[in-house]
Amino acid sequence: MKNRLRELRAARRWSQADLAARCHVSRQAINAIETERYDPSLPLAFTIADAFDRTIEEIFLPDRADTTSAPDK
Amino acid sequence: MTNPPQPDQVIRAARRAILFDGLPVIVLGGVALALGSSPDQSTAQKALWIAATAAFALAVAWVLLRAFRRADEYLRKVQLESMAVAFAAVLVGLQVATVLDSAGVVPLHQLTQLIVIGGLAIWLVTADLRTRFHR
Repeated sequence: MKNRLRELRAARRWSQADLAARCHVSRQAINAIETERYDPSLPLAFTIADAFDRTIEEIFLPDRADTTSAPDK
Repeated sequence: MTNPPQPDQVIRAARRAILFDGLPVIVLGGVALALGSSPDQSTAQKALWIAATAAFALAVAWVLLRAFRRADEYLRKVQLESMAVAFAAVLVGLQVATVLDSAGVVPLHQLTQLIVIGGLAIWLVTADLRTRFHR
């Protein structure tokens, strides 16, 4: 799963440690999410979205772009 | 404006706490191992050995519980993966120890404790290295 964490964090001039403190997780967790080594749980994804005042969909993107626009079958 | 807690400090404290918890447990395992090393033991010596081994097993469970409660979801995953590596090592070690015991090379009861201590050490070191180098 891709994400825009680094971009959003840079826009706010937050360090990984700042974001980690806001989300009550370790900096390693934020780093692992940013580098796509770890997909966060849904509660953590909501917490991250809240920290940026965005929705989950605006931050986390599926690997395959076509899955977002796929019609129901 | 309030200062948020510094996660690096929290991580370092958590890592220290694991070592502070884990190292005495490994020492306790060594003591239990030493107490069980004599083949001819009196009843009192056996009771002491069993008590030390039971204390070691409980201490291992306590360390694991504390480590999991302390960790966030990512660190918990790292610890679980480290435990899986340690568990595999313990399984292989036990298999080798069983063969050695069958061949009459080394008594199994003594090797078992050594293997469990080794497994705990592998878990601690693997978890520590993974959190230390994945920055």
